[in-house]
Amino acid sequence: MRRAPLVLAFTAIATIPAIVIAVSFGSENIPVGTVYQVLLDFVFEQVNDITSPEFKIIIRLRLPRILAAFFIGGGLSIIGVAMQALIRNPLADPYILGISSGASAGASLFFLGFIPPFVAVWLSVPLAAFSGALLSITIVYLVARTSEGLSVSRLLLAGVAMAALMGSITSFITYLSPDPNQLRDILFWLLGSLARNTWGTLPLVATTSLLGFITLLLLSPHLDVLLLGEEPAAGLGVRVELIKKTLIVLSALVTGILVANSGAIGFIGLIIPHVARSIIGINHRFVVPLSYAGGGIFLIVADLIARTLLTGEDLPVGIVTAIAGVPFFLLLLRRTQYKFS
Amino acid sequence: MPLILRAGSIFPWIPCILLLVSLVQGCAADRPRPDESGRQTVVDDLGRSVSVRLPVRRVVTLAPSVTEILYAAGGLSTLVGVSTADDYPPSVTSLPAFSALPVNFEAIVALQPDLVLATTQVNNPRDAKVLDELEVPIFFLRTQSLNDVLRNVRTVGMLVGTEKIAFHTADSLGRIIERLRNATDTLSSRPRVLVLLSEEKLFSFGIGSYIHDLIDLAGGKSITAQIERDAPILSEEFILVQRPDVILGTFPEHVGVAEILSFHPEWSGIPAIISGSVFAIPPDILLRPGPRNIEGSLKILAVLHPDIAETLRLTD
Repeated sequence: MRRAPLVLAFTAIATIPAIVIAVSFGSENIPVGTVYQVLLDFVFEQVNDITSPEFKIIIRLRLPRILAAFFIGGGLSIIGVAMQALIRNPLADPYILGISSGASAGASLFFLGFIPPFVAVWLSVPLAAFSGALLSITIVYLVARTSEGLSVSRLLLAGVAMAALMGSITSFITYLSPDPNQLRDILFWLLGSLARNTWGTLPLVATTSLLGFITLLLLSPHLDVLLLGEEPAAGLGVRVELIKKTLIVLSALVTGILVANSGAIGFIGLIIPHVARSIIGINHRFVVPLSYAGGGIFLIVADLIARTLLTGEDLPVGIVTAIAGVPFFLLLLRRTQYKFS
Repeated sequence: MPLILRAGSIFPWIPCILLLVSLVQGCAADRPRPDESGRQTVVDDLGRSVSVRLPVRRVVTLAPSVTEILYAAGGLSTLVGVSTADDYPPSVTSLPAFSALPVNFEAIVALQPDLVLATTQVNNPRDAKVLDELEVPIFFLRTQSLNDVLRNVRTVGMLVGTEKIAFHTADSLGRIIERLRNATDTLSSRPRVLVLLSEEKLFSFGIGSYIHDLIDLAGGKSITAQIERDAPILSEEFILVQRPDVILGTFPEHVGVAEILSFHPEWSGIPAIISGSVFAIPPDILLRPGPRNIEGSLKILAVLHPDIAETLRLTD
């Protein structure tokens, strides 16, 4: 796989033009020249002109949102990689296995005041989302485990069922709450939106996403061995149980925190790793970083579409990723001969 | 508008001017003092401290009801942008409009407002966080009664520096409310009123809504006033048990008993249907918590107690 490093370098570099293009468009038409002037002034000369509306729109609104899109897209994408390695099947994804909806349910439970704020608010929502995600994936995993290993059909069915259950819990508690913004909040949690991302929310998102990325990069040799099957992997000295538990907790953690920020954005973890593997093979040393950068770019573009498709309106970005993702998922289902090796 | 003008003829002018002056002075004393940068801290109806340079010169409103409050407070000239739902007063339709649900933050920033006015009724307090980070002050108004409407008019007048007009308007409105209340207070029998948002889905108003105040003022009794949720969706059973005497709704004008029965055939035995008391009320004067609510209350009075409405009209 000579071309793997090349593809990787190309994708990583492509992130910059993706950000620059995304920042140029929005509901307000700002001439591209002005956009770059403001960007360059900000990046190279640290100009912080809060009185200029162009500065506010580009630096305070679009830029943090686009960076968040990158980190969230990348994070969800590599969690897809982790889940697929865990169950040795390309049909896994945090959304399909119910992790995202578990996180949504946890976060909305907290948001609507059903869980007391036992720690600081900025920490409790992600914590509640993490707990929901962990609960959801643990149940799915336990249901799918058989004496011969994981049953894929059971896993998918349990995932779909958990996703539906957690989605209903989210809808139910949102509906119960006295908050007059219920219906819009249901949309936010179930379909995902990047609309409220600011510089203030970015550090937690970026840290979580990078933590997931680095951990999976370090684990990538083990992930390769895991694909051979649990017994052969154990025979090769991999501590299979520990790796599996790490992957589950990491998935719940990353998905939980990202969902707490932006709701359940689906299908990124399904599409991107698949495309990455079809380009550079199954070596996780390359699949993980390529999926990360690819997922980031994918969500930047999806969010750009969500922001600009209807004039002056913000679509929930999950609608865009689902429209791209569901046909892809169905296609994958048809191609049953799909194998990792 | 004619309502407000007519109010002037109800009472002699002198005492109301005296009252006005004393209120303006009282308000001036309450006005926060500016800090070194010329900014002042005001507290909105969510209890948030909002730092703003007073009087505000450029205002953006996030909901039609807030625009109407600003209008009543005499601050229309400060308005530089409105939501796409705005249409009153008609002149606002020529202003730049943006989507408010969900909030188009870019469009708001581009309008460079000194203050964004919002209402807890439709705007999401979580949106305030984004505007806070953008250093765009946002001030929330809450309306749970007609008194809140008057209070909001005065508050907004203070923010945009038109206290005199705002207090005068609020006082005039207050006197009309007072007259209405005097006329309906002593009623021995109050029809039980159901207020619906549409003829099909049973969206209504629960506890803490100003709607009940409007019904009360018009001499009725709202049957949903004690429902624990702000915006309940009623069950058919609730209505069958409650048996309202009158059904009011923000229906299209042609909707009457027949249309209601076509959606809810089981209601044929309830008093409102038997007596043919189904009335459409124009949505804007009912659903926007603002000065035009008084017009809404008068419309309801004309339906519930035509005789009282007639007497009031004659004494004007």
